[in-house]
Amino acid sequence: MKQLPPLGADTVVRLSRQGGVAAMPGLARPREIDFAQCDADQRTQICSLIEGCLPLADTSASGRGDQRFYRIEMRYRVQEQDDELVLQVPENHAPSELVRLWDKGQLV
Amino acid sequence: MPGPVSVHSFIPPYLLHRMIDHGSQRQRSCASQTLSHVRNLLHNPGPPGHLPQPSAVAERGEPRQLRRSVHDAQNRELLPGQVVRVEGQGATGDAAVDEAYDALGATHGFFLDAFERDSIDNRGFALVGTVHYGEGYQNAFWNGSQMVFGDGDGELFNRFTRALDVVAHELAHGVTESEAGLIYANQSGALNESLSDVFGVLTQQYVRQQPADQADWLIGADLLTERVQGVALRSMAAPGTAYDDPVLGKDPQPGHMRDFVQTRDDNGGVHINSGIPNRAFYLAALAIGGFAWERAGRIWYDTLCDRRLSNVAEFDEFAALTIAHAQRRFSGEPGVGRAVEEAWRQVGVNVKEIPA
Repeated sequence: MKQLPPLGADTVVRLSRQGGVAAMPGLARPREIDFAQCDADQRTQICSLIEGCLPLADTSASGRGDQRFYRIEMRYRVQEQDDELVLQVPENHAPSELVRLWDKGQLV
Repeated sequence: MPGPVSVHSFIPPYLLHRMIDHGSQRQRSCASQTLSHVRNLLHNPGPPGHLPQPSAVAERGEPRQLRRSVHDAQNRELLPGQVVRVEGQGATGDAAVDEAYDALGATHGFFLDAFERDSIDNRGFALVGTVHYGEGYQNAFWNGSQMVFGDGDGELFNRFTRALDVVAHELAHGVTESEAGLIYANQSGALNESLSDVFGVLTQQYVRQQPADQADWLIGADLLTERVQGVALRSMAAPGTAYDDPVLGKDPQPGHMRDFVQTRDDNGGVHINSGIPNRAFYLAALAIGGFAWERAGRIWYDTLCDRRLSNVAEFDEFAALTIAHAQRRFSGEPGVGRAVEEAWRQVGVNVKEIPA
């Protein structure tokens, strides 16, 4: 079963929307979320949201034929080492909560 | 007794790319080496075994018979939406519907006339388009079975059906998928994108009957509103100059290998580094002269359909095949092959040995 690694307070999550025939830099609107600036509830909510995206992610096929996708990059430390996990969620499978977090920076 | 080793036992390139993206340092290094090795071994396995069936009323017809259906998503994001115009029916008065219908017909006609190709799969695949997809949706795409067009937001983008080259670009993704199946990542993904731009502009030039030296070589010139500081989505003649706008940013396309962008965004820069093969095509077409679809376009099409082109091809492999096809098809015009070779040299692509 796919699981998220433990994401501590030193985690930074970067969300962007990519791809599309008009793949222009300004449309990606990357948003960085620094867990150090979030409270415990917010972190839990974000982790739960990302965990829900795990089965939807498809790095190999997302973007094909100009389809847009959401890219979730997580940079974190585990066992005192930097690590990274990247997910790409096709736009047509993206949960509305993910879109809202990317677009408005808001959790439900 | 063990059976023969199947070529399908290779780790697929997309998994290798995934390992390169997400694996440990050792995994990344191994995957990189393997991918490079596989590239040298694999010829194109042929078209994908299937294309998803079109989800619309149009069916496969007689050879060379155009079969279109246009659907209205009614501003929702559900496909294919309600059918509003099928082959042979008159204009509806809805600009997006009628533009999509006409543009699909023009693109089908271009592939048939220029390359004797019968639709997306060369077997009369029915063309399905959905318009009014989403609310103010700023995109158009090919989803593996049909084309989808947003209305644009009206502030930055007009409706996507306005741009014939963009409609043709999306249809060409279907053609590429059913021929070389170029993997949509890194250089093979940039070639995939570039081929869509090439056949997109060629469709437009064909409809306008424009010789290469009279065309603007812009992609999506009809898409941007007047508020945008830019002329198009991309420029094949001068990659990197299509727009420089406070909201959309600056056109990031390079036009030469020395400026190749190493990035993990955009599936490894498929819409960025496509500027390099785009410019190579433009230079070749301009040097050859006349109608670009007659020689340069034919050479690029022959290359796309060549089984020696691997689905993880990089620019140098693609370039070598274009030169081989130029020399073969236009053997009586040696200047054509030289023009193609020179075009790749000018964008800094060192041509690889042509596969046997």
